[in-house]
Order: sequence, then C-alpha cells, then structure tokens
Amino acid sequence: MAMLEVKNISKSFGGLKAMNDVSISVGQGEIVSVIGPNGAGKTTLFNLITGVYTPDTGDIKFEGSSIAGKKPNQIVDLGVARTFQNLRLFMNMTILENVLVSQHHKLKSNWLSALLRTPGYLAQEKAMREYAVEKLAFFGPRLQSFRLHQPVFVLSYANRRRTEMARAMATGAKLLLLDEPSAGMNPKETREITQIIRRMRDQGGYTILLVEHKMNLVGEISDRVVVLDYGQKIAEGSYQDVVNDPTVIEAYLGKKAEGKEETEVQKAAKMDGRTI
Amino acid sequence: MAVTSSRLDQNPQVVERTKTLAFQQNRGRNILLTLGTGLICILALWFLTGLGSAKLSQALALFAIWGVATVSLNLINGTLGILSLGHHGFMLIGGYTTALLILSDDARQRILDSGRSAMTETTVGLSVSNLFSSIGLGALTGDGSLWLRFLVAIFLGGVVAAIAGLIVGIPSLRLRGDYLAIVTFGFGEIIRLSASTRIFAPLTNGALGFAGVPSEFGKSVWWTFGFLAFTLFIISKLKYSSYGRAMESIREDEIASEAMGINLAYHKVLGFVISAFFAGIAGGLWVSWLGNARLDNFLFTLTFFFLVAISAGGTGSITGVLVGTALVIFVRQYGDPLEEIYAISRWLEFIGIILIIAGAAFLLFRSFNRSGKRLPNWAIWLFTASLFILLLGSPVFPGINLGKIGLYVFLIPFVIMPFLPNVGDKTKGVGWVVYALLGAGILTLLIGGISPGAGWLTGTFRGFGMRGIALAILLIVIMIFRPSGIVGRHEFTWSWLFREKLDEPTEEERKQDAWLTNPELNRAGGAANLEGSSEEGI
Ligand SMILES: Nc1ncnc2c1ncn2[C@@H]1O[C@H](COP(=O)(O)OP(=O)(O)O)[C@@H](O)[C@H]1O
Ligand SMILES: [Mg+2]
Repeated sequence: MAMLEVKNISKSFGGLKAMNDVSISVGQGEIVSVIGPNGAGKTTLFNLITGVYTPDTGDIKFEGSSIAGKKPNQIVDLGVARTFQNLRLFMNMTILENVLVSQHHKLKSNWLSALLRTPGYLAQEKAMREYAVEKLAFFGPRLQSFRLHQPVFVLSYANRRRTEMARAMATGAKLLLLDEPSAGMNPKETREITQIIRRMRDQGGYTILLVEHKMNLVGEISDRVVVLDYGQKIAEGSYQDVVNDPTVIEAYLGKKAEGKEETEVQKAAKMDGRTI
Repeated sequence: MAVTSSRLDQNPQVVERTKTLAFQQNRGRNILLTLGTGLICILALWFLTGLGSAKLSQALALFAIWGVATVSLNLINGTLGILSLGHHGFMLIGGYTTALLILSDDARQRILDSGRSAMTETTVGLSVSNLFSSIGLGALTGDGSLWLRFLVAIFLGGVVAAIAGLIVGIPSLRLRGDYLAIVTFGFGEIIRLSASTRIFAPLTNGALGFAGVPSEFGKSVWWTFGFLAFTLFIISKLKYSSYGRAMESIREDEIASEAMGINLAYHKVLGFVISAFFAGIAGGLWVSWLGNARLDNFLFTLTFFFLVAISAGGTGSITGVLVGTALVIFVRQYGDPLEEIYAISRWLEFIGIILIIAGAAFLLFRSFNRSGKRLPNWAIWLFTASLFILLLGSPVFPGINLGKIGLYVFLIPFVIMPFLPNVGDKTKGVGWVVYALLGAGILTLLIGGISPGAGWLTGTFRGFGMRGIALAILLIVIMIFRPSGIVGRHEFTWSWLFREKLDEPTEEERKQDAWLTNPELNRAGGAANLEGSSEEGI
C-alpha cells in the first residue's frame, strides 16, 4: 500500500478550478517530483495535502487513514511536514529555535512541568536539541556552531531554505513535501541540495514529494514525475518518459507563447500573499 | 555529476562547538548570579525604604504592581503577538474578587446598613474568613492572619480572572489582528460596564464599590515586589521553555507555526489564561494599593498606560517592559509638579527648553549621521549630562536653579560642531527641522525670560493633564528614534553580560565560513554561469 494516496481531489477558488480530479500516490521511500508551469496548482496540491485547504471532493489517505479535512497540525502529528515556496521561517527566532519549535508537538510534558523544568521535561529538551543538531548536520557545517544562535533574518537566502528543510525534517515526519527547494539557489547550491535530498531519503529515511522547476534536479533524483497543468494531471512516469511526452511539451511551450502574461498574474498573486 | 562533497563534510571542530552551543551553558553560574542579584535587589529595596520617603515607597510599590500587569500583558502582546486591549477587565475581576473576599466585617456591616446597596446577606457573606470557618479553620480568621486570607483572596482573584481569560481566549481562535483587538477591547469594557448592572451589583456593590480594602499589602514594597518576582519567575520560565518558543512562533508566522505541528488554539488560550491570571493578581494588589475597589479605577486608560510602557520599553522583551514601566511610573508619580500653577513666562521657558532639546536630539541622532559629522563620545556624554541638568533646572524641579548652567553646558557641542572634521563623504547639512526647532525654542525661551521684567504675559496657567502630554511626547520621541522600544527585542541575560557572543564565529570558523558563503571565494570558474543558462525550462 502506498504511503500517501491522493484520490480524485478537486478544489475550486471561486470560479477557478485550481485542482481538478487529481490522483497521486507516493510509496514508502520514493522521491516523487511534481512539475508543471506556473499556476498549474502544484502549491495548491501541497496545501491540500497538509490541511491548509480542504478538498471539495476526493480523499487523501496517509498510511491508510484519511487526512482530508484534518487540521495542519494534526497532519504533522501523523507524519507529514512541508516547506514553503516563499519561505515561512520564524524570522526573529534563531536557527536552533526554529528547529526546536517544529519538535514541540512531540513534547509529552504539559506546560506546568515545562515551566518547572521537571527532570522529565529537561530530558526531552536535551533530546530535542540533539535531534535538532542531527537534522541540521544534513546541510554540512554551515548551519552549525555559532549559526545555531543567529536569528534567521541575518541568514543568506540559501541558508534560509536549508533551515526550512531542517525544520520540516525535525517534526519527525515520514513524508516531506518540499516546495521548490532550490528556488533562488545558484547552480552549485542546486547540485548540493540535490545531493542533500537524496541523502534525506537514503540516510534519513524520509519519503519525499517535491515541486521543482529545475529540470536537472528533477531528472537526477526523481523515481517518478507527475506533471500538472491547469489543475489537472496530464502525465506521470519516469523522467525520460515525461519529458518526451507530447502533451507535456505542449503544456510548457503553450505557456511559453503567452509566457509574459502568466508570470505577471503569478507575481500579482504572490504580492497579494495568496500563494502560500 | 561531480559534487564538491567537501562542503557537506563535517569539520570536527565545528561539530565539537555545535555540541556545546546547542545546549544551555553555565546553568549553575546563572542560577547563582540570579539569586545573588535577587539578594542585591532586596538590599537595595531595604535601603530605599529606609530613606523613609513615603512617596518613594508608594512609587516603588506601584512599579511592582504595574510591572505584574505589564509583564503579563506582554505575554499576549509580545510573545503571542496578539494585540489585546482588555487587560483592565481582567484586573477588575481579580481586584473585585480580592476586595470582596478580604473586606473587613465592619465594612460589610456598613454595606448592609446603608440600605442603598444591591448586595444581599449571602453575597456580603462571601469572604475568606467564612470560607475558613466553614472548613474548620476558624482559628485563622483573626487579625493576625489577615496576610494569609489576603494570599488566598488574591489567588482566587487570579483564578477567576483566568477563567475570564479562557472565555476571551476562545474568540481569539477565529479572529486575527485588528478584529481581535476590538473584541478584547469590547470584552474589557463589557466587564466594567456589566459590573454595575443589576445582575452583578450584588457581587460588586454596583457603582458604590468597596471602600476600606486593607492597604497594607498593596502599599508594601515587600509584598508587591514579592508578587513581581513570582510573576517574573513564571513568565520568564515559560518564555524560555518549549511552550514559550511555540508561542513566539505563533507571533512570527501563524500559518508556518500550524504547519510545524503547533496547536494554535491550545497555545493561544494558554497564553490568555496565564496572562489573565497575573492580571487578576495585579488587580488584587491594585485595589489594595488604592484602598478601595471602584469601577473608575479600571478604565481603559489603565490598559493604555500598560501599552505605552510595553511599546516604550520593547514589545516582547521582559527587560524592556520593566524599563518602560519604570518610565511610566516615574512620570505618573513624579510628574505632579507639571500639573501645578506657574506663571506663563515660566511655562514659556519650559516649552522653549523642550523645543531645544528636541532640536538637539534630532541634530545629534539624525542629521549628524546624514551630514557625515559625528560628535566625539565625550561631547555626547556632555550633551546627555546637560540634559539632566536642564531637567533638574526646569519647572519640574522648581527648587533647583541649575537651568542656566545646564544651558551653557548644553550649548558646547553646538559651538564646536562647525569645527569637527567630516567623517565620510556625505556633506548634506542639518535639516530645516533642527533649525526650526532650535529657533522656536530659543525664541520662546527669550520671550519667557524677558516677559516678567517687561511686564508682559503676567497670568498664570495650570498644566492640567500635563503628565499625560509629557508621557505622550516621550513615547513619540522613543518611537521615532527607536521604533522597537528602548530595549527592542533584546533581553538582559547573563550570557549577554559576560559577552559570550554565542552567535559569532571563532577565527577558524570565520575563514571557513567566508569560503562557504562568499560567492567570490567559491566560484567554480565560468562554468557555473554557463550551466545556469541551461537550468531553466524543459
Ligand atoms: N487561496 C487562493 N485563492 C484563490 N486562488 C488561489 C488560491 N491559491 C491558489 N490560487 C490559484 O490557484 C492556481 C494554482 O496556484 P498554485 O498552486 O500556487 O500554482 P503553482 O503550480 O505555481 O504552485 C493559481 O491560479 C492561483 O492563483
Ligand atoms: Mg507554487
């Protein structure tokens, strides 16, 4: 049985069908990429899986139980965590604090014992810090040592992306949804993040569903690729099959023809803060 | 594809430092230092109360009481990031509960005898004494154990306020931002207004309130600082626990916080309940300080002053909130000379001095940077010192006539300014604001100085409400120069005091880090740029 099963979900915003009868399944230990032109509904898919939106129709199952309609934090409890396309870090908190916050939901002490620093709480706090360091170590030395205590707002863009990934990993999730993990990174950093994502699966044991625009990254690590366009799944298969699929090529080229207008719309939407 | 794996490899030194930095350090030392500081505070309080100034003791006690209120309000406003305007409502609940529970038997009898009260036999009988008697602790109802009954009463006051906090916390789950602020404001007002209605009057004695609340607790520096210490202990322990981090993450980004597994509803309501509990405690101390419980001591202005203290000191910082509270209490308790009757010429001098100070502050902190001129440190110290002397010489402290000396000292930086070398290449002159302020200030000062001799402007003027104005001006100035408050988000910590610089690289790391992040140092020839063009598209 697949770890994540998205079954025929649809979602409309007013008149816009952002997601139309899409089904996707991700098996344990797989790396699956979702690609598609801007506005295809990739982020919406993530928002539906993580409970930010509830699907109008269809169902989402994680490890056999339905998660559609659950709250985002309940879905994290079950083992699904995400990163955000536009970065949503806790800017005035330090790297370490960011990676500790995402472990808070696993804390067993109630607030009173946390406040009184009972031995049970202190042991968990210590374990949380060890776990945080372990997850940050995936990204090499650059998120360690003195950086632990730097507030996120002083970090470079690439380091912020890495921190966000570490934060999602630290939730203890089994399935990670990465929304454009290499956005804003230079080619060298992109190659590195490719390697890290593979390590996350191989050494960390995470299953990964990711949205990406950089095709060399997608080609290098994906077990399977899903293509979305206008909220519909237009292709699925290995990277080679998908990029040679005439429908996919048309979707991308067709977009290129009207390219400018689309991106303007997209930009406007982002400025409204509507795309999460 | 060859990946430069060295950039992901662990450096043993970095791993070692990470292991230490990830955990709290010097806990033993910090606890000892904190205890030591507590002892020093006790000695300082002992010394200050020993001076025998009733006014000072009152101000100190009020600082502690308002400190309990501001630190707890800051838990909602600063830590959770929710603008709550209903703190006076929680204080009212705690205050009235405390007052009702410890009122003396005489006062109760008077209420019954007056015949105008809505209170019934049952509600008048609600007291800690009766509670003690009913559970067989009648021995504790004497005068000697009033302190114990006060403790029980104020604790119950906190609990009742916390229940109210639970009720207000629930709408906070659905609303955000301004809407929620309006709801909390409305709630605070509803509490105050409904206290005098027929439903609650049997409990609150309606518009009459309670007179004769024992004031030996609220007026006592020891009791109030004891409660402040308790509040600081609980709130700071909470802030630095996993729960505190969760609350701060809600302030930073609600959506991300929820996506990282934080139960928003639980943590918001928890924050409201804890904050309201301490507001209730503050209310209990407040009625004791006042010696009575009346509705017009729980107006929205109370919350307003708390907010002024919080934003002036630094929203979110416990240290900052205490600094801000001290400032507000100083103006409130020592600002009364401002509200007295003075000759108009005296007022003019005062206004003139304020204008000059404002102009000078502008000059120092804004235009100096812009014009590329920077005063040497000693000049800045001199300026600050002269400000104090000016203040002492101003109508605020009519006894001391240092005004003129202060003025001369104060002028020195301006005299020397033209002779200072330019730092940097910006040569823009000082702004017109400075000239306008200084000009207007000097003119007003002159008119004020000449007019008594010339026989102009002979009237007097009473500065009614001048304290509030002074506070507002102070707030404006702080907000202009330090928008995040005097202390900002920083906290006083021992690690800061010892310059432990946990967030700075060692020399070794600095070299390595430069290599990691500086694009100049790790550019892989032109190849990277070429590859870049083939990255996008399919
Ligand atoms: N909350 C929302 N309200 C209205 N429209 C939305 C909302 N979220 C997404 N959309 C729209 O749904 C479409 C898909 O968006 P998105 O999933 O962000 O695309 P992408 O594939 O680029 O991530 C876009 O047209 C976007 O404007
Ligand atoms: Mg997107």
